[in-house]
Amino acid sequence: MSPEWMQGAPKEYDSVLVANRGEIAVRVLRAVKESGLRAVAVYSEADSESLHVEIADEAVLLPGESLSENYLNAEAIIEAAKSTGANAIHPGYGFLSERADFAREVSENGIIWIGPDAESIEVMGDKISARSRMISSGVPVIPGDEVSIPEDGAHLGPLAVAAAKVGYPLLLKASAGGGGKGMRVVREPKMLRTEYEAAAREAAAAFGDGTVYVERLLTGARHVEIQVLADSTGNCIHLNERDCSLQRRHQKVIEEAPSPAVSNSVRESMGEAAVMAAKAVNYVGAGTVEFLLSSNGDFYFLEMNTRLQVEHPVTEMITGIDLVQKQLEIAAGLEMGISQSEVPLSGHAIEARIYAEDATRGFLPAIGKLSTWITPSGPGIRVDSGVRQGDEVTVNFDPMLAKLVVHAPTRKAALRRMDAALSNFVVLGVVTNIGFLRNALSHSAFISGNVTTDLLDSSDISEFGDPEPPIEALVSIAEAALRMGLDKTHAGASASPVDEHTGHSGDPFRTLSRSYP
Amino acid sequence: MEWGIGESSERYSAVMSNEGEAMSLATFMKDGEKLESSSLLVSSDDFPGRLVVEIDGTPMFAHVARVGDDWWVHLDGRIHVIRGHEPGGSQDQATNGGLSAPMPGTILEVLVKQGQRVREGQTLLVMEAMKMEHKILAPSGGEVSTVHYNEGDRVDMGSVLIEMTD
Repeated sequence: MSPEWMQGAPKEYDSVLVANRGEIAVRVLRAVKESGLRAVAVYSEADSESLHVEIADEAVLLPGESLSENYLNAEAIIEAAKSTGANAIHPGYGFLSERADFAREVSENGIIWIGPDAESIEVMGDKISARSRMISSGVPVIPGDEVSIPEDGAHLGPLAVAAAKVGYPLLLKASAGGGGKGMRVVREPKMLRTEYEAAAREAAAAFGDGTVYVERLLTGARHVEIQVLADSTGNCIHLNERDCSLQRRHQKVIEEAPSPAVSNSVRESMGEAAVMAAKAVNYVGAGTVEFLLSSNGDFYFLEMNTRLQVEHPVTEMITGIDLVQKQLEIAAGLEMGISQSEVPLSGHAIEARIYAEDATRGFLPAIGKLSTWITPSGPGIRVDSGVRQGDEVTVNFDPMLAKLVVHAPTRKAALRRMDAALSNFVVLGVVTNIGFLRNALSHSAFISGNVTTDLLDSSDISEFGDPEPPIEALVSIAEAALRMGLDKTHAGASASPVDEHTGHSGDPFRTLSRSYP
Repeated sequence: MEWGIGESSERYSAVMSNEGEAMSLATFMKDGEKLESSSLLVSSDDFPGRLVVEIDGTPMFAHVARVGDDWWVHLDGRIHVIRGHEPGGSQDQATNGGLSAPMPGTILEVLVKQGQRVREGQTLLVMEAMKMEHKILAPSGGEVSTVHYNEGDRVDMGSVLIEMTD
């Protein structure tokens, strides 16, 4: 039985399988439950104790150790939906979210696909076809030439010719890449082969496709993206921009909305271009059109992500619109019920991605057990996370532990709120980038709002170095903690006592999952 | 117990004296030498894994967790790791000239052979972990004395990959 809000909709459903893991699975499963729908999770063996499994109404084990056997196994996921009676599938981001063949297969099995049509994914998923569709629809694209490279990579002749035409520095991208994987900067011709081979390998490891695409690298540009929302009755609006300029090796680190570099007139024209891009592929659902914004105000289409974005919460904070709830409504065939002129833009939101990585050692991913995990809370603070205290961080998945999002009336107030929230984020046992984020956010370039995508990669990383540690206090604390026997009583040790605040015994998960609902 | 921070070989120690439920810093030493110390009081707290620290009269919370010989401390918005060393223990247990895997992963490429001379910063091998590539660079010029792994091998964190001599 579908929930009350959905009754009478063209495509009713009552049960949603979330084909993902980690924080986004948690985010979507919660929205599904809140909407009165049954929430079904899938999980791999390694994730059997994960938070997303715990909060689902039902969870299906996907056997096998490799991703292609579990989270990328379309057949097994559709089978899981059928066996649990889930009549809709939400893909989250990553994994199968942008696989047109999966979207098609889901629909062909009579299951509602919570996302755009397979055709939209197909056109936008291939950088070359997306580019030509944008050109014919009048959406501005990055100047330069384009080329597709044969998959075996034995002959780099065509690539060298295209690279020379485009000019250096240039960007090599795997056509099926994303998230910074399979993307390399080539600064001079002699590095072309090395970087091409690295890009092809990374793309093959992450996405199972080795095709490469070449494009001029615009230095000093900002990465600005527009959130769009379209329903199946023909309404299409944009929900303002997000600025994702603080990146490291093309991985987003900090995102904010609105962009400090976008004026009302740029917002309007970029928003129109984004809606035009979405309409050009008959887009339905929530999607993101990415642009590069050059310093003179010109902007160029980069790509469209035909799914929910990692950084979608910053848009939710400034508009008050729950994007996952809207996805659920649109998938039922309902109208989105909001017009362009009704879209709010209130205050300023910033998101920081908390990664398990060591900034002092070249940002190497870190592993270990989260002996302590205390998330900040308070007005205007939101933490989206897929982990709890006691969880093991392994090398098996992306190292993003959580997203910390703050909202405040102004950018300055949001920056202060973010710094305070990061200061109160206690993660012990696994090295994270929390300290680095505080350093980056207090950097003059970020405070002035003058961040370009190459800031972190072109700066001396010591500019973002940690302050001197208070050695005397630390040594005294460690000595006292040792003598007070804190190593024997603290959560994570074998014999942990009943927690006085929650009354739960030992299990460190319990106290934590209560501190942020 | 003697304490070290990060890669530094400096060793610190603190003599704490009991003051009722709390402990105060009596003597603070660096490499056996007494330093002038602040007024520093550490008290226990009801919240698991948390202490109250008073530095020159200003109280704040410190969260602590022990992982092996390391104590992780969250203090004043920053996270630190300090390592306990038994007094008189060896100063440096790092293997001489050994380059170890910074994390578990797979060896993608081995770019040097045994006996080969390399310069500082030269890429010795490339490994993949968490779907990203990481280059292992020569910390200084020298000769490769042993290569322990081949392409495609899986390695654990800390495994010695390559040994070098000057």
